[in-house]
Amino acid sequence: MSEPIKTVGQGINRVDGFLKVTGAARYATDYPVKNLAHAVIFKSTVAAGEILAIDTIEAEKAPGVLSVITHQNAPKLNPNGGLRGGGLLQETKIHFHGQHIGVVVAETFEQARYASRLVKVEYSKQTPRTDFEKLEKEASTPKDKDKADIVRGDVDTAFSSAEFKLDVVYETPIEHHHPMEPHSTIAVWEGEKLTLYNGSQIVNGAQSSAANTLNIPAANVRIVTPHIGGGFGSKGGQWANLVLTAIAAKMVNRPVKLALTRQQMVNSAGLRQRNLQRIRLAATKEGKLTVLAHETTTHCAMNGEFVEPCGDCSKVMYEVPNAKIAYKVVPMNLILPTYTRGPGKATGSFALESAMDELAHQLKLDPIEFRIKNEPARDPLNGKPFSSRTTVQCLQAGAKAFGWEKRKMEPGTNQHGDYMVGYGVAAGTYPARQRDSSAMIRLNRTGKDIKATIELAASDLGTGTHTIIAQTAADGLGIPVSNIDVRIGDSALPPAAGSVGSVGAASFANAVNDACIKITDELILKSGKQFPVRPMASALMASENLKEFQTRVDAKPSPEADNYSCHSFNANFAEVWVNAATGMVKVHRFLAVTGAGKILNPKTARSQIIGGNIWGIGMALTEESVVDPRYGNFVTRSFADYHIPANLDIGTLDTIFIDEDDPITNKLGVKGIGEVSIVGVAAAVANAIYNATGIRVRDLPITPDKLIRKV
Amino acid sequence: MRPFKYSTINDIKSATNRLATNDNARYLAGGTNILDLMKEDVERPDELVDISRLKLAAVQPITTGANKGGISIGALGKNTETANHPLIRQAYPLLSQAILAGASAQIRNMATNGGNLNQRTRCPYFYEVSMPCNKREPGSGCGALKGINRMHAIFGWSEKCVAVHPSDMCIALVALDAIVNVQGPNGQQRSIPFEDYHRLPGDNPEKDNTLNPGELITSIHIPRNNFADRSYYLKVRDRASYAFALVSVGAALEMNGSNILTARIALGGVAHKPWRAKEAENFLAGKPATVENFRRAAEMEMKNAMTLEHNDFKVELGTRAIVRALSQAMKGGKHEELPA
Ligand SMILES: Cc1cc2nc3c(=O)[nH]c(=O)nc-3n(C[C@H](O)[C@H](O)[C@H](O)COP(=O)(O)OP(=O)(O)OC[C@H]3O[C@@H](n4cnc5c(N)ncnc54)[C@H](O)[C@@H]3O)c2cc1C
Ligand code: SF4
Repeated sequence: MSEPIKTVGQGINRVDGFLKVTGAARYATDYPVKNLAHAVIFKSTVAAGEILAIDTIEAEKAPGVLSVITHQNAPKLNPNGGLRGGGLLQETKIHFHGQHIGVVVAETFEQARYASRLVKVEYSKQTPRTDFEKLEKEASTPKDKDKADIVRGDVDTAFSSAEFKLDVVYETPIEHHHPMEPHSTIAVWEGEKLTLYNGSQIVNGAQSSAANTLNIPAANVRIVTPHIGGGFGSKGGQWANLVLTAIAAKMVNRPVKLALTRQQMVNSAGLRQRNLQRIRLAATKEGKLTVLAHETTTHCAMNGEFVEPCGDCSKVMYEVPNAKIAYKVVPMNLILPTYTRGPGKATGSFALESAMDELAHQLKLDPIEFRIKNEPARDPLNGKPFSSRTTVQCLQAGAKAFGWEKRKMEPGTNQHGDYMVGYGVAAGTYPARQRDSSAMIRLNRTGKDIKATIELAASDLGTGTHTIIAQTAADGLGIPVSNIDVRIGDSALPPAAGSVGSVGAASFANAVNDACIKITDELILKSGKQFPVRPMASALMASENLKEFQTRVDAKPSPEADNYSCHSFNANFAEVWVNAATGMVKVHRFLAVTGAGKILNPKTARSQIIGGNIWGIGMALTEESVVDPRYGNFVTRSFADYHIPANLDIGTLDTIFIDEDDPITNKLGVKGIGEVSIVGVAAAVANAIYNATGIRVRDLPITPDKLIRKV
Repeated sequence: MRPFKYSTINDIKSATNRLATNDNARYLAGGTNILDLMKEDVERPDELVDISRLKLAAVQPITTGANKGGISIGALGKNTETANHPLIRQAYPLLSQAILAGASAQIRNMATNGGNLNQRTRCPYFYEVSMPCNKREPGSGCGALKGINRMHAIFGWSEKCVAVHPSDMCIALVALDAIVNVQGPNGQQRSIPFEDYHRLPGDNPEKDNTLNPGELITSIHIPRNNFADRSYYLKVRDRASYAFALVSVGAALEMNGSNILTARIALGGVAHKPWRAKEAENFLAGKPATVENFRRAAEMEMKNAMTLEHNDFKVELGTRAIVRALSQAMKGGKHEELPA
């Protein structure tokens, strides 16, 4: 048997690509469940206060209505069962505008929606706490101990005596995840057993939080989610809609489908909070950093705290003797914020990397050179060595590929007709981690044909999980990818990590790889033979004449990794063209250079990276969720108002991966790319706009009005 | 969605009759606006009269009457077909550019010309039934007046309503002195100059236009003109496509040697109706087509603006946009491409 071709590291097509383009891939609401009833959630129209009365009489009489569920008749649920954001119909108190206050179940979606509008709700209203500009002063230290102050050296003294310095505030607005597939669920009860078809980034987490909230054993809940239409963090922790579908199905004694509308998404599944980030940065005239203080003020919900870690990049990026990372948070009548792609790093890097650009300009240093001068030898936070670190390589390789030498040092000096052209750079990082994951391999042989089924409760957000699992298994077993059946997204399968925090690829691939090693070991043992060269599992199935064989592994990260600081790193390059008359910005070219260990599949990896880049460009230029503080409601509730970039906004996108072999981070050296792909992007664009125009905009998004106000 | 009756009709008379007998019936053309509004419970008709079968889609030269030599555009022609029609592209490129600056290809494929005129404002308060809005619910107050009004009007607004008309197509039509032809329930026909078609909010923001109940738009006429070589539609927006205008400008020039014979300037995103910049136009008539004159004309027009809390930028942006649109018109009105 000839040596099988390695597929890991090859940009093979997605194994589920055919299913996707033919529409055969099933998302949560695509399951052809019989006898479905449809549920529509209705929401609070005040942001603070109390429900005094809910009159459902008319709604109940409306055509097709099966049930109207409110706090008055909802079954008792455990509000601390692990679902985020409240809205479980267990209380009369209103914490935010759009809090779920009831569910209508009817024969059709349209009937349910119509009836939901016949419900009359009487509130006692309070003045909502929704004006961040005013409340910001009340912010105090978060309860979350990860957000306690980190202080090194003496920031104030060093800053006051510094010659080159900067003390500015960067602002980022509320953003929404807005995955293509809004949060939606089908719930089916069979006796005590509940099946929930529901987009879940963490399959086992969704299972346990649903079970805990419903006060039933986890073994009675099955989550089915083989394909997810995006989540970006909003389908990591689950929200009330998951369990409201289950209780609706119970109450009408039929399977129920509940799909949120786009408009409902703004206050149903979290958000990225608004941040004010004060940066104090100082350096010697040679360009050595002396001070970095990164202090974030943000908001959380009245019914829960979440603070995104904006200071994280500032912990690891640069060598600096005097440093401070601090947070303040104020509760507001808005839905609970949550993890959003590149949590804390996407936003934090905008502040840090804009400030680095500003100080480089003061120092008359090239911003790449300035960064390289401050490259740390070890993790500045804890003194641990980096398992590997590619910041300098990313910057240098990127500069060469991008034509950085064409950048004009002096801003506003590169004019092309009506356009001002600018180049910007920004670096970024995201932690690399592996999490516990189990995996099952089943081998089946018919004649020469050997098939493998790989099973684990992993999830695929559209990132390519199916594909990288198939590749890892193919190489580990010596079986072609086409003979590998990947079964994921089902809590009935061996438990696995989630597709969150860029742990997915590392956790799933290592678990599958370990399982391949284990099954081969077991087959060798079973054969009772000695082999001069370690055979592949596929060869053993044939030589031992086995029809079936299976094994399961419970893979864990190596404790060795804890002795190191393990991160992905990147450098982002943007070329922008700013229309001098209208202030409209076009990102003409964008390059992301990433060092993320082993790239399992460069094709799906590139898609991941450019997806993060596009969101980052949106973050820089267009995306903003705006609250009217008088009502606590968003005025940006659809894609007509919440502007994600359109095709025409995006120029050429290029991706480079730095070759990197890091067996310390984990056995396969996989670091993860989903999160890091957005880190540093907005800053690269903002820095390019500064280089083009000489205008420094410190509050995102950089819309035309902000530029023309200052030109 | 509220239960409603759906009826199809095959001739204009049946259509107008349906609306004459039911105050709460609405025409359904491409449905890209009215269906969205019904889903959000903003529009609540109990009957939709589907007019898409009416034979009112043609784009054709006008061969008789006062506007002979001009062009007639059917109310039920699709936005896409109208924009790409060879006669429109050649003789009325401003209209073609304006239509193509709006919405997305998919929406333009569905959207009709009549529906475009009658599309409703995009004010986010209008779209959300839990917030006050005089246009949706007269007397409930204007949510935008003291609210988030970055996208709202700087000309002609009232305390009752500060919304803007969202159309791009209408900016070209008002600049080109188009005429809206309508037919009422008793078969009577009217021709409404485009400038008089949409209205300012005054005390009745619930009324967007001057149509009488039941009147159906049958066609839009554009008189013949000499602007084809020098016109330009500029739309400034938050993203490069698929966004409503912060400010837009439809500009057209007819020259007499190096002097301007006639200038037409219309602004979008600034008022409850497509806004003709008459002061600027009058100033430019007879003057040399210089950037200096364009700027003076623009400033003259924009000095009358009344800004709200969040939209003062529209004055400077509008000024620049007028200058740029006129300059581009002088250069032949082609859209610029960035170099590769
Ligand atoms: C996401 C989105 C983005 C958009 N962006 C833009 C943009 O950037 N610029 C822009 O200009 N437009 C934009 N549009 C609006 C779009 O142009 C309109 O929705 C479309 O033109 C309406 O045409 P329709 O045929 O679908 O109208 P319908 O939705 O069928 O009808 C709209 C209204 O017109 C009435 N009506 C229709 N035909 C007639 C008639 N012949 N006589 C009398 N009344 C009639 C209907 O009763 C209804 O009240 C956007 C729309 C969407 C959904
Ligand atoms: S501006 Fe007009 S449409 Fe908007 S809230 Fe006020 S009244 Fe309603």
